[in-house]
Amino acid sequence: MKDRPETLPPWIRKRLPRQEELQPVLDTLRELRLASVCQEAHCPNLCECFARGTATFMILGRVCTRNCTFCAVHKGAPLPPDPEEPARVADAAVRMRLRHVVVTSVTRDDLPDGGSGQFARTVRAVRERCGATVEVLTPDFQGRAEDIDRVASEQPDVFNHNVETVPRLYPEVRPMADYARSLDLLRRVAGHGLVAKSGMMLGLGETEDEVLAALGDLRDAGCRAVTLGQYLQPSPRHHAVARFVPPEEFERLRQLAEGMGFEGVASGPFVRSSYNAGKLAAQLVRARTCPGK
Amino acid sequence: MAYEVKLPDLGKDAPDKAEVSFWYIEVGEKVEEGQDLLEMVTDKAAFTVPSPASGTLKEIRVQEGEVAKVGSVLAVLE
Repeated sequence: MKDRPETLPPWIRKRLPRQEELQPVLDTLRELRLASVCQEAHCPNLCECFARGTATFMILGRVCTRNCTFCAVHKGAPLPPDPEEPARVADAAVRMRLRHVVVTSVTRDDLPDGGSGQFARTVRAVRERCGATVEVLTPDFQGRAEDIDRVASEQPDVFNHNVETVPRLYPEVRPMADYARSLDLLRRVAGHGLVAKSGMMLGLGETEDEVLAALGDLRDAGCRAVTLGQYLQPSPRHHAVARFVPPEEFERLRQLAEGMGFEGVASGPFVRSSYNAGKLAAQLVRARTCPGK
Repeated sequence: MAYEVKLPDLGKDAPDKAEVSFWYIEVGEKVEEGQDLLEMVTDKAAFTVPSPASGTLKEIRVQEGEVAKVGSVLAVLE
């Protein structure tokens, strides 16, 4: 157990629900043998979202082939994909009565298709079983157009891929990734006419100018939605928190981002790419059908 | 009737323990349902634990600075 940071600011505090409020989602995930990024990444919003009856599914196992320094997900050599997993995700979506289904994954550099096939099958399986909107949050597939297109061809309602931080910090935050490659993925997704979304964590050592430049890059790439949240350190072995960004600054960045033309912006200390994703998705659909409102 | 306040289990691979950082209420004090009893800290954030029922705080099982595992009893209410 690491030393409690003396500097945890007062706004990094949430209410813990009772076991009974969390149990239905926990039971569904356990019975259907599904992982959630909520649990695997130790998301501080887990309690709030589970108590509300929602979770973000993480497919392709619980072991990631990357070594990003911000992430609590297990790293190492993963197992082969489970062909029954897409159907189980669909079962969970039905059981949980989800109106918006978010599916993410670990990075699978070991697979020839990077896991894109499993994403495609999962989107399809969910759509066969329910009328929910579907959002994917994908890895970069090492920039392979074929794999990006394999997921894009299922036409997810939102195609999310996180740049995570500003380019200068990539070597220390996302050493196996490439900022330009991530932008290219988003550009390709937007080029297919899909809603492209991305996200960044703040408090890793970036400057505001760098954040604004990255937001500009995302707009240029065709991103229509962006999420900004506070980076929180999962363990002493992970990247340190350089700064706790106050809520007022998140609010200011939200306004700046909207001024840049993003149709959907979520910005706040506890904002995560999949947090309240349904609400953001609904906004984007409205923006598409009612331009100018 | 005794009511146990437990640290909820968040399932597989989720954080499985938390440290008690501060008790807002003392043994013997009356509490309302929903009133914050204590604050706990996990790897990433602080959490307040609200009282699941109205009553009197009878016993504190995990003191400030101590770590509790999920599922364990933090306090007993009556």
